Amino acid sequence: MIISLKDINKSYPGAVPLHVLKDVNLSIDKGELVSIMGASGSGKSTLLNILGILDNYDSGEYYLDGVLIKDLSENKAADLRNYMIGFVFQSFNLINYKNALENVALPLFYRGVSRRQRNKLAMEQLERMGMADRATHLPSELSGGQKQRVAIARALITKPSIILADEPTGALDSKTSKEVMQVFRDLNADGMTIVIVTHDPGVGEQTNRIIRIVDGRIV
Amino acid sequence: MFDLASEIMATLRNNKLRTALTGFAVSWGIFLLIVLLSVSRGLVNGMESMFGQRDTETVSIRGGYAQKAYKGLKENRRVQLRDGDIAVLESQNANVLSEVIAQISNDTAKVTSSKDYLTDGYRGVYPSEVRNSGLDMTKGRFINQNDINQRRRVVVVNEESAKTLFGDKDPVGQLVKISDLSFTVVGTYKQEWRRDVYIPYSTARAMSGGSDKVNNITVKLSGVKTLEESENAEKGFRSTLGRQHTFAEDDNGSLWIWNRFSDYLTTSTAMGAIGMAVWIIGLLTMLSGIVGVSNIMFVSVRERTHEIGVRRAIGAKPRSILRQIILESVAITTLFGYVGIVLGMLVSEGIGMLVAAGGERSPLKDPTVDIAIAIQVTVVLIIAGAFAGLFPAMKSLKIKPVEALRDE
Ligand SMILES: Nc1ncnc2c1ncn2[C@@H]1O[C@H](COP(=O)(O)OP(=O)(O)OP(=O)(O)O)[C@@H](O)[C@H]1O
Ligand SMILES: [Mg+2]
Repeated sequence: MIISLKDINKSYPGAVPLHVLKDVNLSIDKGELVSIMGASGSGKSTLLNILGILDNYDSGEYYLDGVLIKDLSENKAADLRNYMIGFVFQSFNLINYKNALENVALPLFYRGVSRRQRNKLAMEQLERMGMADRATHLPSELSGGQKQRVAIARALITKPSIILADEPTGALDSKTSKEVMQVFRDLNADGMTIVIVTHDPGVGEQTNRIIRIVDGRIV
Repeated sequence: MFDLASEIMATLRNNKLRTALTGFAVSWGIFLLIVLLSVSRGLVNGMESMFGQRDTETVSIRGGYAQKAYKGLKENRRVQLRDGDIAVLESQNANVLSEVIAQISNDTAKVTSSKDYLTDGYRGVYPSEVRNSGLDMTKGRFINQNDINQRRRVVVVNEESAKTLFGDKDPVGQLVKISDLSFTVVGTYKQEWRRDVYIPYSTARAMSGGSDKVNNITVKLSGVKTLEESENAEKGFRSTLGRQHTFAEDDNGSLWIWNRFSDYLTTSTAMGAIGMAVWIIGLLTMLSGIVGVSNIMFVSVRERTHEIGVRRAIGAKPRSILRQIILESVAITTLFGYVGIVLGMLVSEGIGMLVAAGGERSPLKDPTVDIAIAIQVTVVLIIAGAFAGLFPAMKSLKIKPVEALRDE
């Protein structure tokens, strides 16, 4: 089991605190391709951010690959994100003044890998995504599907235990969506654990398991 | 390290306008600081060279007119200094002086050569007159102690006067006649506003036909350090001479006194104050540059909140974000500060050249900033740059990665 959530609760503070996640229990095994589906505002992104150690939770227990993720120092969290998790976002989140190769190589910069080694590994990932010929292009010179491929290459370069994708096809047309989903399926076939948040049933269908979330509860 | 540098260069290049604006503020501040410092250095150099050739620890005294009636004497009497005053001054003020010398002047005597003549008269002086008057010897020597002891008939003239007298011939060794006596020229000096002809004091005394009048007395101070001590010494001379010549010691017209030491102290204090003011103005200018950097770093960090969120999501530790932002502002301040230093030094060199062309009377001399100051300024700059980056960097880390990512 790579992910195990026990009775996770999360509220956003405010004049009226908003209880977003309610007693969430969830396990995901190594090698699974899972989608999380639900209506807008149901708490999907909140859940994924907790899984990705980008946000904390109020109560419960979250184990990532056997490590209890709770009250971590910012340094420890940064290391876990770098070594165990690859993120793919709806809006790609590439750095606009860096070319494709530099964007893909960036996570290894924070690991202290040498530039030459970094660029070599980044090139391998770009090749794997079929993007080698666009290595020196800036994000603004790439199509949406191409940007998402670069973002996936960046998520893969650290050889993470799990890939977390929040609406990875949300900004893409249906043809490109299918291509990107094919990439995820291929990665999953190679053994990668992947969690995809989506509200597109077409995307959900292509995963092995659909987790439905309604108003902060898993049903 | 090289990696980090290229990472920083990439962000700076990506934000050209911001980098240029910040850089300009820093360059301008440093530029002004350097120029101001060099000008104030020039003022100090100018002052030192003005006083440097002269003996600053001397007080010259001439007779004047007593203004007040005193001990039955009427007002408006001429006070005439005499030979006897020298010994009296020396014995009654021994604790503040090391030497008392005098000068005899004759304003009517002709100095003639075979070619031409001068009507400047002559002065009988002691060897130290060369320093008291700030004379710059160009040929030969000045009057020395042997000349005094042996009452030699030797003379020192201005080099311009020497041209009048001897044309292009070497003046040293030439003969002139003063009051029908033959004198040998032993040296010439250069002085723009002085044409005096100098002969030994003892020789002049012998030529004065039994008179014991002296034109002025110069006291060399010793052990006097402060302005107050200097003024007190001056008062002491006034009261000694007051007893000698019967005038009230607070009768200021009775003697004409030039206290070079008080002048020197007052000018030094003024120069010191100018120097301080320059530093303060310069540092404030620099500070405003640094506040500018800090401000722009704040804006830039806010602009880049999202980017920082992305970097943190892929594993950047707080300390690497902190280091990058700080080094970015250090890089800006150092780079543009360096530009400011170089430009400032060029401009002060330029001022230096103008001043040199302006000749001796310019109040400035060598307005340059030494390397030590440039290095100090650079160090201050780098530290300031680090601080300018520190606060915005810490602010950026207060934002949780998830919030930074949401912000678009
Ligand atoms: N930082 C926050 N502060 C306060 N409320 C928040 C915050 N982030 C999210 N919310 C609220 O929490 C609820 C769940 O948000 P979340 O982003 O998890 O929804 P979602 O399922 O991802 O929706 P969508 O499909 O629209 O992306 C929403 O009502 C949202 O308004
Ligand atoms: Mg969402």
